Amino acid sequence: MARFHPLKVTDVKRETRDAVVVTLAPRDEDRALFDFTQGQYLTFRRDFDGEELRRSYSICAGKDEGMLRVGIKRVDGGAFSTWVNETLAPGDEIEAMPPMGKFFTPIEPGADKQYLGFAAGSGITPVLSIIKTVLAREPRAQFTLVYANRQISTIMFREELEDLKNLYLGRFSVIHVLEQEGQEIDLFTGRIDEAKMAALFQHWLDAEAVDTAFICGPEPMMLAVAASLRAHGLGEGQIKFELFASSQPGRAKARPVSAQAGAAGEGVAATVTLDGATRSFQMPREGETILEAALANSMDAPYSCKAGVCSTCRCKVLEGEVEMAVNHALEDYEVRAGYVLSCQARPISDRVVVTYDE
Amino acid sequence: MSDTMNIEDYLAQGGVLTAPGNVPARYRGELLRLMSSFVDSELAASAGFADAINLAPGIRERIAASRITLEKADHAERVLRVMAEFGTDAGRYQTSHDWAARVERGADLGAARRPGDMRLSVFHYPIAGWTDAVVMNVLQGLATGVQMTELTRVSYAPLAEVFREIAPREARHAELGREGLEQIAQTEAGREEARAAIAYWRPRVAAGFGVTHSARHDTLARFGLRHSPNEALLARWQALVSEHLAALGL
Repeated sequence: MARFHPLKVTDVKRETRDAVVVTLAPRDEDRALFDFTQGQYLTFRRDFDGEELRRSYSICAGKDEGMLRVGIKRVDGGAFSTWVNETLAPGDEIEAMPPMGKFFTPIEPGADKQYLGFAAGSGITPVLSIIKTVLAREPRAQFTLVYANRQISTIMFREELEDLKNLYLGRFSVIHVLEQEGQEIDLFTGRIDEAKMAALFQHWLDAEAVDTAFICGPEPMMLAVAASLRAHGLGEGQIKFELFASSQPGRAKARPVSAQAGAAGEGVAATVTLDGATRSFQMPREGETILEAALANSMDAPYSCKAGVCSTCRCKVLEGEVEMAVNHALEDYEVRAGYVLSCQARPISDRVVVTYDE
Repeated sequence: MSDTMNIEDYLAQGGVLTAPGNVPARYRGELLRLMSSFVDSELAASAGFADAINLAPGIRERIAASRITLEKADHAERVLRVMAEFGTDAGRYQTSHDWAARVERGADLGAARRPGDMRLSVFHYPIAGWTDAVVMNVLQGLATGVQMTELTRVSYAPLAEVFREIAPREARHAELGREGLEQIAQTEAGREEARAAIAYWRPRVAAGFGVTHSARHDTLARFGLRHSPNEALLARWQALVSEHLAALGL
């Protein structure tokens, strides 16, 4: 089930002070698996002090560049991005799942399309892949990018974007919005918020001509841009979102060492949390799963197949020990982090504390 | 602009999630529940319609029933693919239930799902003849159309995309049903039979909209997985049904 494959690092290029661009090559036999669509992302995994960490990063290469490339910006306190920025070197191997994501529109070579892109910081990576691909493969397409950064020195792919402007003269334009550096035009200073969007639409962007808009950045920016696009008449199907990497939950912490298993036959003190509400009740040691016990105590716990296949009923064991009859859905790293399929889990300790909220 | 916000607040304000990696645990559970209900319903609908192929009176009707059987299975597969990105074992999932299994025609399940799979209760009832199949497809097709207005804007973008691909094809299924019903309604005997089928299926399809004032709806609405309450969707469907049936003299 685990779909990880090794990728060879062929190049690590420093893009800005705190971001690198990593070029990767799959094994020959995995080449078809890693044949990405523009705008997709790769999920990497690596062990840090015995804890598996997974991180997703968008591919920044275009379809015609013939390579796999991701841009990774160092996040404060981010173990994975720091490791990539400081340690990863050509010749290393890193494990990744095949490309995923639906942040793209199908290529139509004959179409006369107008695209709008909104990116903030490292949110540029998937948008860059889309820009390069649509400009190359849709010869009549036009793309306008609104790109927000703190200051000039933190702009990723600044030169590459300039080159693209020259290569696709008249078909590609970039509006840089800088938070900390004043520019000649006030409109281009600050951040992308409601007021900025209104001003952009008033002076620079023509909403009616737009076929599709792509947004990638942090949550407040995504909300502001999406609201403005809707207000200017774009439908849900015309707005494509990609929430960027820093919005991922923290590392899956290893579980504290659990309590001793109790003797068979006695009752179990169970504590279950769902939607912030916690209930404690007794459940039999045998013949009832955590899910059945939660449902019997009027908790609306999520489940579907009840066969250990779909993983809808996943919960996390915080204290105590449980045993799963079957598990066809959770991966080893999830199990090590304490996750269980509650439809398959029976307690084997005297006390068990689980939550559906984490 | 690097400031982020709490993911629950983001969702409550209409934010969109884009990958399994940025989905909170409770959201994940409800999203999978929603997807599996759809997958199970489509697989059960496809299995039910497979029998209707042999009830079809002519070649065109046979093609329509085949197409519905084929495409509902295809829609199930598309959504199951999204589930697989969350860890669902897609291979095992599709064989985990008997999708063709049905209860007795006279059974009354209400809105309750039965132990086993998560199909809407309406897909547990057996189809009795061609007119019955067409009527069921018209009524449930209109219900699916109403539910698609919710599903195409769920806050999990990869799933909303899939529903936006599926929606026009599901609408076509309902249209095929309508064309079939038009044929049936041309004779008094046909109308008579259709009225009996409508009386059977109408309350059973209505039950698929769920209970009114559902407590779970609030949770789903907070997550952006639902927008309109069950009762509003049900009312819209009732109005659509009345309008369609009246046009056919039913």
